[in-house]
Amino acid sequence: MKFTLKIWRQQGPDDKGRFVTYQAHEVSPDMSFLEMLDSVNQGLIVKGEEPVAFEHDCREGICGSCSLVINGVPHGPERGIATCQLYMRRFSDGATITIEPWRARAFPIIKDLVVDRRALDRVMQAGGYISVNTGGAVDGNVVLIGKDQAETAMDAASCIGCGACVAACKNASAMLFVAAKVSHLASLPQGKPERTRRVTAMMEAMDREGFGACGNQYECEAVCPKSISVRFIATLNREYLRAGVVESGAPTVPEAPHAESD
Amino acid sequence: MTTLDSKVPSGPLETKWDRHRFSEKLVSPNNKRRIKIIVVGTGLAGASAASTLGQLGYEVECFCFQDSPRRAHSIAAQGGINAAKNYQDDGDSVARLFYDTIKGGDFRSREANVYRLAQVSTQIIDQCVALGVPFAREYGGQLANRSFGGVQVSRTFYCRGQTGQQLLLGAYSALCWQIERGQVTMRPRTEMLDLIVVDGHARGIVVRDLVSGHVTAHTAHAVVLATGGYSNVYYLSTNASGSNVTATYRAWKQGAAFANPSFTQIHPTAIPPSETHQAKLTLMSESLRNDGRLWVPKVPSGRRPPNDIPSSERDYFLERRYPQFGNLVPRDVASRAVKTLCDEGRGVGPGGHGVYLDFTDVIEQQGLDVVRERYGNLFDMYQRITGEDAYRVPMRIYPAPHYTMGGLWVDYNLMSTIPGLFVIGEANFADHGANRLGASSLMQGLADGYFILPYTIGHYLATTKITPIAEYHRESREALERVASRVTKLLGGQGRRTAASFHREVGRILWDHCGMARCEGGLKRTLQSIPALREEFWRDVAVPGSGETFNQELEYAGRVADFLEFAELICHDALHREESCGAHFREEHQTPDGEPKRDDTRFSHVAAWEYRENGPPILHKEPLTFEFVQPTARSYE
Amino acid sequence: MASGETAVSSCKNRGMMRLFNHFQTSLDSKVVVALTGLGLAGFVVFHMLGNLQVFEGAEALNSYAAFLRDMPILLWTTRLGLLSIVALHIGLAIQLTLHNRRARPVAYAVREYRKASLASRTMAVTGSVLLLFIVFHLLHLTAGVVDTSFPDRLDLQGHRDVYGKVVHAFRNPLFVALYLAGQFVLGLHLSHAVSSSLQTLGFEHAALNRLFKAAGPVIALLVVLGNMAIILAVFLGVVRT
Ligand SMILES: Cc1cc2nc3c(=O)[nH]c(=O)nc-3n(C[C@H](O)[C@H](O)[C@H](O)COP(=O)(O)OP(=O)(O)OC[C@H]3O[C@@H](n4cnc5c(N)ncnc54)[C@H](O)[C@@H]3O)c2cc1C
Ligand code: HEM
Ligand code: FES
Repeated sequence: MKFTLKIWRQQGPDDKGRFVTYQAHEVSPDMSFLEMLDSVNQGLIVKGEEPVAFEHDCREGICGSCSLVINGVPHGPERGIATCQLYMRRFSDGATITIEPWRARAFPIIKDLVVDRRALDRVMQAGGYISVNTGGAVDGNVVLIGKDQAETAMDAASCIGCGACVAACKNASAMLFVAAKVSHLASLPQGKPERTRRVTAMMEAMDREGFGACGNQYECEAVCPKSISVRFIATLNREYLRAGVVESGAPTVPEAPHAESD
Repeated sequence: MTTLDSKVPSGPLETKWDRHRFSEKLVSPNNKRRIKIIVVGTGLAGASAASTLGQLGYEVECFCFQDSPRRAHSIAAQGGINAAKNYQDDGDSVARLFYDTIKGGDFRSREANVYRLAQVSTQIIDQCVALGVPFAREYGGQLANRSFGGVQVSRTFYCRGQTGQQLLLGAYSALCWQIERGQVTMRPRTEMLDLIVVDGHARGIVVRDLVSGHVTAHTAHAVVLATGGYSNVYYLSTNASGSNVTATYRAWKQGAAFANPSFTQIHPTAIPPSETHQAKLTLMSESLRNDGRLWVPKVPSGRRPPNDIPSSERDYFLERRYPQFGNLVPRDVASRAVKTLCDEGRGVGPGGHGVYLDFTDVIEQQGLDVVRERYGNLFDMYQRITGEDAYRVPMRIYPAPHYTMGGLWVDYNLMSTIPGLFVIGEANFADHGANRLGASSLMQGLADGYFILPYTIGHYLATTKITPIAEYHRESREALERVASRVTKLLGGQGRRTAASFHREVGRILWDHCGMARCEGGLKRTLQSIPALREEFWRDVAVPGSGETFNQELEYAGRVADFLEFAELICHDALHREESCGAHFREEHQTPDGEPKRDDTRFSHVAAWEYRENGPPILHKEPLTFEFVQPTARSYE
Repeated sequence: MASGETAVSSCKNRGMMRLFNHFQTSLDSKVVVALTGLGLAGFVVFHMLGNLQVFEGAEALNSYAAFLRDMPILLWTTRLGLLSIVALHIGLAIQLTLHNRRARPVAYAVREYRKASLASRTMAVTGSVLLLFIVFHLLHLTAGVVDTSFPDRLDLQGHRDVYGKVVHAFRNPLFVALYLAGQFVLGLHLSHAVSSSLQTLGFEHAALNRLFKAAGPVIALLVVLGNMAIILAVFLGVVRT
């Protein structure tokens, strides 16, 4: 198979960037999309040119590293997979393929197709955890959790944090990402004690990082490699409204950071 | 001169850990704040350690090369995590998990470490539940279990086919909390390239910021390596493309002993390679062997579709050879059986690299829906990669390098031969002997990180007088220079061949001669061919771009350069071990019907290798004594 | 523990602020847009139902209008209420739109949407056109300054002749075209808006999700059909003086 690739090249954050056209020859239909890019890169390297930078690690759709917008769709034409799980047999021979990075203010470009997604980590740091110390946890069977409840939590928790939801959203909103985390923890008894603080803090962090607001357009769900449902966004909204009511009533005492030091 | 003191406490096995913990010195809370610890790696081991150390009050600086700690390779583990909870009341116990692990490792691991691992295993599950890990549950709300390769009890906890992901996200969330509290400083996209040793103690690391290219020294009171395994030395493996040996290898060069480097596990159930550009092998979870049956045609049947072959003409080779365990024999046994068949020319699929894994029977007995619920995502994955529907046509599988039991040598306290350098998770050699059982690596990573290291490191810190050192110290400067000159050297090749082509070549050599079966002749030849390849690498490698920017090819070439040196160490180890044990199969040491022959009189030891600047590495032996179990022939027949 | 105390009080205040004062996050704004939007949608539905009395003849419609006008307090609270709802809705919607635009400074060269509907992607555009339309509509039929060819007059009962005014207006193809275009835009806006507000307000239930999803398009369709019926009925001469 043969392909014409239009790939976004950008030296660094300050470079303007542009599309460069490459030819991919002798592509086997059994190649993955990333292997196809590998082979293009091998050709560039021996010519002394810099290879196209793109992110990858596990190459089996779970680490969330790979992040390409292929012909205008994050992770490309197939549903429910990450870029690394896309195979060339999905494309027709001779096609032209446009490859762009995730584009969002919160994801500045590092180089070519690689963006900085630390904003997602910072949203997690704002509250995406249950603050229990190591040690002394009660037996795992003390609190029973129904199968359905555990399944719902797992549905939400399967988010791989790739940021495709942000890339796909017209508003570059990270709502599905936040929703997945909030819903995962809110649907488990262990996550209940901190639910009020968590949802507010994470929503504030999302705004702070420069993500847009949700337009309920659901493009995120359609490109999510784990097909995480937008109903979790409703759950998030509900959690948030609930937090607003709770917070305006009785004060909840948040842990003062470093209280021990003063 | 390296000395190996395992520091295993004396006395009864069951109370060793408790007594040891009590005898350990503690660091007072006020002092903890002034102590800084570096943790390299954010997989299960690194993330759990960094978060727990932060929670204890230490100042922690944590590194990983991915853009986020959540992407560490642990994320890819599918099948599950073991724990001796005995929730199923099927006869499990700490003693049984201990015994299974020791036996699974073919009696090449330390009793005390393994027993502690089994003890701690139950706490891990509780801790993870508290962190919100959504383990599979029964309808009644209790935690669910499944059984996993190589054991007869059901003790594996799981989250669909994404157990590693969920456990890592749990540890990552704990890490997030500590980052938010200011206890942990997280440095993603930063690669450790050298270790700083001052007065014989590990006191820091040199890293390269992968975005800016800056090379800097970071010093601390102790260094923890949790940098995972090195299966990628084989080029094609089930590991993530970034997995590497660099951190541990660099530490080796600074004096940490490397133990059993040749103990590499080849996993039986990966999707067979299909073409030359393939960059990785994809694992199909071990759990598939619970319900799938392995077979090949009794006589090679060319392109005959598997469904046309009647069962009388099928050889269910594992069930035939190991009637008691059948398809559930440990990984090394299954892998070798598959390889032997394929070498005999009885394999199926392209190039004869594969055997069938057939679900027809279980689909008939329990229904399509049950199978779909259990393995749906794996079947989907298989279809995506191969284009075949495994509900209708049997899967094809082939072994793939997967896990490395070898690693930096550590004592009972998880400290390497360099004081102050601790090694946890897959990066150390400790608990799995010559072969690891399914679902026990996640257990080990979390045991080390949550429950063991945080205690043992305290003792080191409390009993060692530590003078402050600064980044401009001689040792730091030297380490910085080492790294800088290497970067320059990598960029200075003539540029005729890509790093990947060297990687593929060294991987091929190892796979052929130091893979599932090894022999003296092959290993010796390999020890000669690798240095030549390495020379060619330094002469001809092409690394475009500069060291002052984001340069993925430079990162990769550096890792390949280390693999090219490390491959030799593996072969030395494989050559010295003139026995077959666990994953290490020496062709000279087998029974007439092809079963491995272990040699307890000569090789009941850990082989710990010391680096020597000019010349082959020096072998040190830590004898393994078995006080509580009797090494038996590891038979699964 | 000074820091602890301020943390407590600021936490309490935050809730108060969120409810009464000032919108802490974009989601707060969204909730208000959704609530005001639903309010407006409710108004549009009643407005349409009220106007359908055109089909019962001049008397019915005019006395309905008079009935509304006869209660000045109610009328003005409704008007002021509506005005502030509209102001909130528009103000926050604009703020959100700008916030969202900022979130993607560089556009994709190639863009393909899988699921996001046209209506959902054009809320700001349809909203702005609606605003123009509403202003025009008020100037036209309420204030009567657009078309002075139909002077305000009383009908036989002494009510303002709204019926006559409507009939006069929709005889004119220009107005008909403008109002039909307005309906089209209103339909688009509503078709996404109503279901979207339900999601924003957290309505989600396995059994009812289809209902929530359908609510927007169905309500939009009803409003548009109802209004169009009036316009076309007059234009085609079904309703006449
Ligand atoms: C496909 C697959 C499936 C598996 N399934 C199971 C299973 O079901 N059950 C089970 O028990 N085990 C399983 N394993 C094994 C298990 O996942 C790993 O052994 C384990 O996760 C290793 O964890 P770790 O924390 O030691 O290292 P890793 O998770 O590999 O983490 C290594 C960390 O070190 C960092 N790092 C590495 N080098 C450097 C450097 N030079 N500088 C800076 N940072 C560095 C990385 O960024 C990363 O954060 C599986 C393995 C694979 C490959
Ligand atoms: C009859 C008049 C109107 C009705 C019935 C109405 C109704 C609604 C509703 C129900 C929503 C949904 C909120 C949500 O997504 O949760 C909405 C959103 C919106 N409206 Fe209106 N609206 C009207 C007029 C306007 C006007 C005049 C504007 C002018 C600028 C406007 C701009 C918007 C925008 C931009 C949004 C999307 C906000 C977002 O992205 O969340 N609307 N509208
Ligand atoms: S590379 Fe890990 S998800 Fe694609």
